[in-house]
Amino acid sequence: MGQKLLSTLTAGLWKRIPPFRLVLGLCPALAVTMSAENGLGMGIATAFVLTLSNGAVSALRNIIPSKVRIASYIVIIATLVSIVEILMKAYFFPLAEQLGIYIPLIVVNCIVLGRAEGFASKNPPLISMIDGLSVGAGYALSLTLIGSVREIFGAGSWFGMPVFGESFEPMTFLVSAPGAFVTIGALLALQNLYSRWRGEKFIQG
Amino acid sequence: MSDIVRMVVVLSLIAGVCSTALTAANILLGPQIEKQTDLYVRGPALERLFGKPAAEVLGNKVIITAGEQEIPVFFTREDQTVSTLAIEAIGKGGFGGDLKIMVGIDLGAGNMTGMEVVSHSETPGLGARIEEISFRRQWKGLPVSDTVALIDDGGTLDAISGATTTSGAAVRGTNEALLFVRDYQDEILKTISELK
Repeated sequence: MGQKLLSTLTAGLWKRIPPFRLVLGLCPALAVTMSAENGLGMGIATAFVLTLSNGAVSALRNIIPSKVRIASYIVIIATLVSIVEILMKAYFFPLAEQLGIYIPLIVVNCIVLGRAEGFASKNPPLISMIDGLSVGAGYALSLTLIGSVREIFGAGSWFGMPVFGESFEPMTFLVSAPGAFVTIGALLALQNLYSRWRGEKFIQG
Repeated sequence: MSDIVRMVVVLSLIAGVCSTALTAANILLGPQIEKQTDLYVRGPALERLFGKPAAEVLGNKVIITAGEQEIPVFFTREDQTVSTLAIEAIGKGGFGGDLKIMVGIDLGAGNMTGMEVVSHSETPGLGARIEEISFRRQWKGLPVSDTVALIDDGGTLDAISGATTTSGAAVRGTNEALLFVRDYQDEILKTISELK
């Protein structure tokens, strides 16, 4: 049992790290990662929703009739997301303004529904919450990484602190929308190269 | 049959619990959100209207009920008398929806201290230029006794070129605020004096 918990906990950080392995949740990964701070904020919000929604879905998995399960999941997820939005507006207002529409859009983030349907509906609450936490943490890490790459090379700063000297000419291309595709593509390629070099098999799900 | 009943019951129960949770969160955190909105959205506008740091002014807020609307009014005092008011108004009919503006009114001199845009959803580069100082500064010093109008309508205000609709919305909002002060000045002052 302990072994299974541990492997679930670490799976989200490499084996099924979104959005690279579990190619889900690309939309916010492309849209809000203009800076490391935005990426981290979005990642933490998603991780919070993911953990709690996995817990709730898994606790109710034997009560919810299978015909209305998706509707029930969406209601639960939407509630959690709205609560996150209210919390962010109350305590992190500037971040909430920056992320704007992407906070309510966590409702339709495929990772959240995907983990609810694919994992939480088949497993007991504790391990489901651990799975949510681990995949959420992996997502937060990836978004921060993408945000960092784009911010460092696109704006010459990291978390708002200047990294390079005055003479650095930022590649503004990276902070605009096409830069997101290039960054994610490059990171995905690096990850695949590394996996091949280590002789890993590609694991989905 | 019982299957269908079960589906309905479970889904309604989930929805009921969820809406209760949401209502609770909204009621509990409402005041905190209002405070943050004041600080980050209205704060910069108030700073320019009153010429004082936002922190000094934000506490000076009363809400006046006019008809069905609830209008937030900010004020500053000088020697115990209320000297300047900032009134929030809705400029109806902007290009991308209604504008939320704030009009500063100097009660002693009887003129406006300025007009500030709190929130808008106008086109960048056209209507969004409503935030620029060159448009806003036209309001400074205009008398409170007259309504304002664009030059095209026989007034004194220059519209933003290419954004007449937006400019018109700002003018309509200002006139609303002026009318409100005219009709409710006594009530505003009374509400403020009852604060302390």
